[in-house]
Amino acid sequence: MQTTATVNTPAQPRSAIGTLGWIWQVVTGAALIPLAGLHMIAQHFMVEGGLRGFDQVQSYLSNPIVWPIELLFLISVVSHALLGVRAILIDLGPSPRLARLIDPILWVVGIVSVAYGAWLTYAIVSAA
Amino acid sequence: MSLHSTNRARPRKPWQWIDIRGRRTGMWAFALNRLTGIGLVVYLYLHFVMLSQLFIGRAAWDGFVELAHSPLVLAFDVVLFAGLIIHGLNGFRVALNGFGIGVRQQKTFFYGLMAVGALLLAISTYLIFTL
Repeated sequence: MQTTATVNTPAQPRSAIGTLGWIWQVVTGAALIPLAGLHMIAQHFMVEGGLRGFDQVQSYLSNPIVWPIELLFLISVVSHALLGVRAILIDLGPSPRLARLIDPILWVVGIVSVAYGAWLTYAIVSAA
Repeated sequence: MSLHSTNRARPRKPWQWIDIRGRRTGMWAFALNRLTGIGLVVYLYLHFVMLSQLFIGRAAWDGFVELAHSPLVLAFDVVLFAGLIIHGLNGFRVALNGFGIGVRQQKTFFYGLMAVGALLLAISTYLIFTL
């Protein structure tokens, strides 16, 4: 008898987090490859010592091309991360009452996280 | 022809994710993605806390930069890169499989991507400790 071993997908996406959430996670995951790559190269690998100094961070974030890219990165990484957390929480089989709380809580966490990151960027740039 | 992915049912308890006894490649892939994903979420929020040093001011940020150059933090950076690379490459495979691409070759695909990941991690480690 021929046996074909397969590799499980880490999450059974469509059943676990819904089609829309799965598509968004794939879209943000794909976006994160260039965005995280750019972030790593620009913020760490192109800088002597691996980290920008205070003035260098201000100068970098003040670039009108950079901050929209960083904002896109922030939105992508936060939504991708929280969709992953959602999939794990649902996989743990919470009670229906608890399951109903997951989405609103994660939405609040996501909005606060993006708002905090955007505000921090603005505060750093405006302090220049 | 029988098609099986793991010897046991998909784990629901968190501690079962890292219990890979008697399981196949699929369980390794699943466990790696879950554990690296959780690690990266924790890192994301730690990163926010670290970046708040920028808001506190120049002295706070410079102090953090000095700390970030210590060998221990650089070692954590290697762990972070390992998580990013494994999660990214494995996620790429999962996404393609989700669209029906490479499903039959997914085991080979997984090992191939992890080999690419090992190479990327070696390059990243070199850069982290030499920059």
